[in-house]
Amino acid sequence: MRRRSPAQRALIAAGAVLLALFWFGPFVLVGIGSVIPEGNLLSFPPRWFANPPFLGNYRYIFTGEIPQTYLERGALRSMISQEVRLVPRAMLNSVLIATAVMFLSLTLGSLAAYAYARLRFPGRVATFNFILISRLIPTVALAIPYYAIVLRLGLLNTHWALIAIYTVLTLPFSILVLTLYFRTIPAEVDEAAQVEGASPLQVLRHITLPLSLPSLVGTGLFTFMLAYSEFLFGLLISTSARTRTLPVTLGTLSTNPDVAWGLMMASIVVGSVPTLLLVIPVWRFMVRGLMSGAVQ
Amino acid sequence: MGDTTAPRGQAQALPVEQRWSYRWRLARSGLLMTLPALLVIAAFTVYPFWYALNESVHLSSPILGRRFVGLDNFRNVITSPYFLDAARTTLIFGVIAVPVLVVLGVLVALLLNERFPGNTLLRAGMLLPWAIPASVVGIIWKWVFLDSWGALNAGLYSLGLIDSYISWLTTPWLARFAVIVAFTWSQLPLVAILLLAALQAIPDELYEAAAIDGASAVARFWAVTLPGIRPMLVIVTLYEILMALNIFDITYAMTGGGPGTATSLLTYYIWAETFKMLNFGNGAALAVVIALLALAFIAAIIRALPKEALLGEHA
Repeated sequence: MRRRSPAQRALIAAGAVLLALFWFGPFVLVGIGSVIPEGNLLSFPPRWFANPPFLGNYRYIFTGEIPQTYLERGALRSMISQEVRLVPRAMLNSVLIATAVMFLSLTLGSLAAYAYARLRFPGRVATFNFILISRLIPTVALAIPYYAIVLRLGLLNTHWALIAIYTVLTLPFSILVLTLYFRTIPAEVDEAAQVEGASPLQVLRHITLPLSLPSLVGTGLFTFMLAYSEFLFGLLISTSARTRTLPVTLGTLSTNPDVAWGLMMASIVVGSVPTLLLVIPVWRFMVRGLMSGAVQ
Repeated sequence: MGDTTAPRGQAQALPVEQRWSYRWRLARSGLLMTLPALLVIAAFTVYPFWYALNESVHLSSPILGRRFVGLDNFRNVITSPYFLDAARTTLIFGVIAVPVLVVLGVLVALLLNERFPGNTLLRAGMLLPWAIPASVVGIIWKWVFLDSWGALNAGLYSLGLIDSYISWLTTPWLARFAVIVAFTWSQLPLVAILLLAALQAIPDELYEAAAIDGASAVARFWAVTLPGIRPMLVIVTLYEILMALNIFDITYAMTGGGPGTATSLLTYYIWAETFKMLNFGNGAALAVVIALLALAFIAAIIRALPKEALLGEHA
């Protein structure tokens, strides 16, 4: 390791502190905002720390018990948006949809990825390029046709429509990552099995997939996260409050000028729990893999 | 060009006719295994694109029914002041946000490439802004910048730095600034990670050789680091241009395109034209325009990528 001058060390320390503030600051502010009573939040001058932390916002989301602080000031009661109560339901919708998308995308993706990684067939390069390019079309350009198709099929307001759309949106990514990973497995392993008379499908199921577990986990979780986060199609397809996904429920809440911000913040904290749980495994299996892949 | 992707060894050991049937079997498997994914993707890409094209040259109205109008929708859209406004706003966003992202990305990658306590925490923590839904990014930053009781105003006021609250989200240029900050926050992690990977791929020997030649740290950056990460810089820049063309969730949740149309980007404008104004013909024409724009960038990306990078012949 090179020796650093004091000036260099100061520069690195300052950069690290600034970066930490930028990355984490907004999250800390949301956390603080979710435990400040509404009256203190809205007051001028700000009185954030006038009262001890207040958990009523969280209690309301799960039990519907209106926080004392809102009852004290009658005028504020109307600001409690009923829709906040839909956050747990929306999370469930999002988790169900994202789980289905994850399995569909991995199944279709690993089948295609094995073919692209190992087999030669007519149209191999052309269809691979087509799959990758398909994902680069701006989603908003597909919004109108998707909406019209879903409407005609009578699937508006169903999870099926979103599962299908998200599978299509994540599939190119799954195919790309899995193809690159499958190619890192020595082909001799496959050949040995094929000498024994195994079909490509059997090789995939019994040899390639077990060897690719880290990549499958990483790709699957990443797919889950993409489906969990998608907003535009969720907004178009789910028009009723009950079928909405979490990003849509939160996104439409924030455009409501009467929303209670304490409740909004508590909803964000609750809704981010799945993301927080997934970030570390995604990091371990996927991003590190991408980085070591780039180093090779 | 060693053909190591197909199991060649065994095939060559067989008589000619069996070798052919073996190859045919593998090719058939390849076609069958890619078919489900291809069908699904094609059904959701080719047909919708054709649908949008078709819709863009028709005018549907509840009274007159549906009729062919040629390129009228395109003319309406492209000459509309709202479109020009949205296109200008998108251009402003791209011109500011993308260079800011790339420069900050390089700085962050250089920082994270150094060894210091807390480095791992920063690397893991940077995934959070990237992982949470973009609509939530919009809400989080709305709470920071909110005019009347936002966190930034409250903080600056409490520290005595301002006497009255700043109207961040209702002043056009400040609102644009706020949206760019939120966009940067959500995109910087990916940019920095990709550039960091490129940095780590630069061989140490190059730095050592430059140091022996007496090059200063700044000179080493221009002579060794920058050329080393140039391919990744190109890819990241083009990718972020595409992302900037795609911003929708953040502005929807954060500003609703306002104040006025200050943060109405093309995507937001398409959405409003189609689903608020219910003008499908114009919306479809806009969609075609933005898709063609994106295709131009895609062509640039593919030219920038090294040939055979993804499906190359070496395993």
